[in-house]
Amino acid sequence: MRKIALHGALTLVAAAVLAGCAVGGGATGPGAAGGRTTLTFLTFETPNLNASYWDAAIARASAKVPGVTIKKLVAPTVDRTAYAKQLDASGQLPDIMIAVKPDGFAQAGKLAPWTADELADYVVPKANPIAGKEYVLPYNTQPTPLVYYNKADFARAGISGPPSTYAQLVDDAKALKAKGINPFVVGGGGQDTWADMYPLIADVGTDVYAGHPSWLADRSAGRTTFADPLFVGAVRKVSALAAAGYIDPAGLSRSYADTEQAFRDDKGAMYPMGSWFAASADAKPPAFGVGVFAWPTDSGKLVVPAYTGGGLSVSSKAPDVALAKKWAAAFMEDKENLDASVKADGSIIAIKGYTPPSTMGPVYRATVDLYQQAVQRNGIVNAFTVESGDGSLPPGVVDKAALGMQDLINGKQTAEQFAAFLDRQWTQATQ
Amino acid sequence: MRSAPKSPGPHPGRGRAVRGLGHFGALAAPGLTLYVLFVLVPVSMTCYLSLTNQNPFNPPTRYVGTANYTRLAHDPDFLHSLRNTAVITAVVTVAANLGGLLVALLLDRAGRLYRALRGVFFVPVILSAVVVSVIWQALLTDDGLINSMLRTLGVDHPPGWLSDPDLALWSLAWIITWQVLGFCVVVYLAALQGVPQELHEAAALDGADALQRFRHVTWPMIAPALTINTVMLLITGFKVYDQVQVITNGGPGEGTTSTVSFDIVHTAFTDDHIGYASAMATVMLVLVALASVAALRLLQRREVTL
Repeated sequence: MRKIALHGALTLVAAAVLAGCAVGGGATGPGAAGGRTTLTFLTFETPNLNASYWDAAIARASAKVPGVTIKKLVAPTVDRTAYAKQLDASGQLPDIMIAVKPDGFAQAGKLAPWTADELADYVVPKANPIAGKEYVLPYNTQPTPLVYYNKADFARAGISGPPSTYAQLVDDAKALKAKGINPFVVGGGGQDTWADMYPLIADVGTDVYAGHPSWLADRSAGRTTFADPLFVGAVRKVSALAAAGYIDPAGLSRSYADTEQAFRDDKGAMYPMGSWFAASADAKPPAFGVGVFAWPTDSGKLVVPAYTGGGLSVSSKAPDVALAKKWAAAFMEDKENLDASVKADGSIIAIKGYTPPSTMGPVYRATVDLYQQAVQRNGIVNAFTVESGDGSLPPGVVDKAALGMQDLINGKQTAEQFAAFLDRQWTQATQ
Repeated sequence: MRSAPKSPGPHPGRGRAVRGLGHFGALAAPGLTLYVLFVLVPVSMTCYLSLTNQNPFNPPTRYVGTANYTRLAHDPDFLHSLRNTAVITAVVTVAANLGGLLVALLLDRAGRLYRALRGVFFVPVILSAVVVSVIWQALLTDDGLINSMLRTLGVDHPPGWLSDPDLALWSLAWIITWQVLGFCVVVYLAALQGVPQELHEAAALDGADALQRFRHVTWPMIAPALTINTVMLLITGFKVYDQVQVITNGGPGEGTTSTVSFDIVHTAFTDDHIGYASAMATVMLVLVALASVAALRLLQRREVTL
């Protein structure tokens, strides 16, 4: 019987150990491991932001903040927000995260807000407020999208320069198609369904947000719906491009990386994409010249959808929140890290006094010029589905919108049906 | 002299039984504990959560009774996922069983080449579903190997295997069938090799041709293999997630390839509706259990009547 009792006790101990392993873990408190604090840091990888980019940036920040050991976590896909939620569900929300949408986390008190003093050096300190507080360091601005184009294809189709009105854009697409050139490269395959959103983000920016900057906040407050003719009109522009054969549905099988490669392989003349493509185009120039223009408005007024944010956020449950914030700020404000971000991801840094490396290539410089022009002409608007903070889309609706876009491009949905679909998804998400 | 009846006394038999139970308990305790911790507790918690509106970002959690289940019955997204799961499960179960049996019959021969081929057919089974998905995605995209070959052969507009909403689900079903085929082949091969040669010889002596020998000797004798394969394939089909996540992310378009498992993960961790996702998981658990029990009952009855 004693043996039985011993077996039983061992089993219970083993179970308790296993159960203990299931919660917590990762971070250790101050005093552990010789006075060092271990903090988990959630990153993500793309062709531009690879493992060595993150490792070098982490090492530079850690050198400035003694006593911190960083345990890097990598999201399995670029959707680091969904991964952060999975980790949170098992009690393992990372201590520090980059470019994770704060919505939900902030309202639930899971993030530590940044103070006005901590944001003093940032150009847009109130970029994405949630109940008046900022939870993500707004360190860079990304115009999303701009249109990168193949100068050789434009020349071959007899197009002298980038279009300045929407009607000219459609004419150019027609001219390209007539020459057997696919006008737009749009992706959205594999896990990267989000990559099909850029024409819509552009049209919503030019046709909805430019005239009504608070349109989504109105939608959030129930003062309008996606059936609003203004919104439906913007969607109709995308479906018209697809119906005319200017957006090839075959692109919907291409992942984000494959989509960029397709543009590089001259499988289309125009590539609506975020400004991060500029760095890629300069670092590894395609066989043709790359130009850039803003998705044109009907009137010709310059409008550029953009998102300022993308920085680090800190968990309110980090073992040492003050230290985690100090490390996050060191990571974010380190000149070399910012330079690396500019070179790898085409970031337009939104920290006062920062100047990008003089070695930046022509596509990046053209991108920044275009952005600066839009700033000067008061033409910056939110990037639909990319925006975060109060009044942004409820969780899950962004992914559903990307699926709806696939139906729109495939001709399976009309603009009105797409709008109704979004309204239904919004209702479900907020139930 | 009659001896007095033995007193019931200390019951040595009961003592042995108690000791036996104790030994059994000690031996089973580790497994049982793990089973309780990692299966029964999570399943019970899921069932409980399905009756709540739990959303970690929108507390407090309230008991909502069967509201989640009522909502599921009218949720077009969930019904799409259920339909897709049923289609994938049906295709995979039938195609992998048929293909596995056919390949097993072809490989049921002696010789190095056949042994090597058995290994080849089994390779996809040991590969991770993510690896298989990445390989097939590369093959089936518009710029992939298959469409490039078709273009070389003069097909101007090759099918959009993954971008055409009418084809994508079938492409996924094919990929999953391809991956599980090797498992079916091995199970059928093992069963085929267990069929006594004497039965074939006796049937041949009675004048049975190859088809008749298969129908009246081989097919009934490999019935247990059909049961195993069918139940395993049903379960595999119901829980398809990885391939959808990697290859199509539920698209192209609304509900074309999303499965119940895929929906559960997204509803829980993207939409933050843990309670609602738990209701989906509970429904799936019940469906898988019902399908498995039904298949077992049906197929085992056939085994019994041999």
